Amino acid sequence: MKKDVFKVVVVLPAFNEAKAIGGVIESIPATIGNMQVQSVVVDDGSTDDTAIVARDAGARVVRHLTNLGVGAATRTGFRAAIELDGDVIVTIDSDGQHDPADIKSLVDCLLDGSYDVVIGDRMLHPQGMPGSRIGANWLLNAITFLVYHGSVSDSQSGFKCFSRKAILTMDLKADSYAICSEMIGEIFAKDLRYGSVPVKPVYTSYSRAKGQHFLNGINIILHLFARMMRRV
Amino acid sequence: MFLLFSKIFSIVLAGVVISKSYVDFRARKESVQMFLLWTMTWIAVVVVALFPNIVDFLIELGGGRIGVGTFLGMALVFNLFLVYRMYVRMEALQQKMTMVIQELALTASGREGIRETQRELTADRDRR
Repeated sequence: MKKDVFKVVVVLPAFNEAKAIGGVIESIPATIGNMQVQSVVVDDGSTDDTAIVARDAGARVVRHLTNLGVGAATRTGFRAAIELDGDVIVTIDSDGQHDPADIKSLVDCLLDGSYDVVIGDRMLHPQGMPGSRIGANWLLNAITFLVYHGSVSDSQSGFKCFSRKAILTMDLKADSYAICSEMIGEIFAKDLRYGSVPVKPVYTSYSRAKGQHFLNGINIILHLFARMMRRV
Repeated sequence: MFLLFSKIFSIVLAGVVISKSYVDFRARKESVQMFLLWTMTWIAVVVVALFPNIVDFLIELGGGRIGVGTFLGMALVFNLFLVYRMYVRMEALQQKMTMVIQELALTASGREGIRETQRELTADRDRR
């Protein structure tokens, strides 16, 4: 059967996001042009009502029995997206840190530019971003470059858009936040075409509290160095 | 005083580890090889704690060319190697666990829903 309708699957990894996820799902556009948009929430072993809220808001919900980490939840979401026959797959944070209205810009950039991956780049216009986050981003960009020899301005963005080919090509293994750096490594290792679109992060007191902690940064660094050591 | 404390501490710690290992061995949670390995390792630790001069004896046995610092350095490197090996093995186990949970998630709670969506979409496309 000839495929004339593209389908966009939006993957939302979520852990205890009952307060915010409903609003995020409801803000995701139902269509982009003639493309259908389907939301898939991967509930990563939440102990609150994340799954119920997400289902009520209209998302498909896939539940992990226990908390594995954002990387594992994202990978589960990718598998679900492929089974859902998604042509374009978008990842977005569940805490409301990204504006779902920007999904269209990422998808348009992917399709117009014939890219395999488009990164929602917070560092192109970092106004309003806390200085500590900017500094941490630069540090992790540098470490990502050191480990994977690939340089982008926002290696830690959770807001990305992928072609189906990119999802099937990338070999991702990280369970933690290190998956963001691993994706950059795979983009360069597999010669995937990538572009960037500026996105404005939405920093509320909730998203600040739920965002990456300092210890997560340490974990990412440890994971990346362990990976580098194994290649030596 | 500190030497006495370290001796008591080593003996208590060894007692705890060996008895735990024995209980696990009896409950068939641990193999006989692992039980013997841990028992001998901790007996060796207690012997060194009770008779620290053994370290000097071992150094002299090696021709006295290495000092206590070198001896401790080698022990540290060996420990770091063990920690690294454990980290790698732990990560491999974590990956296996992730695979199982992902499969369960997609099968038990997700796949049926995904198939349902697939049917809805196919019907929607056919209508168009």
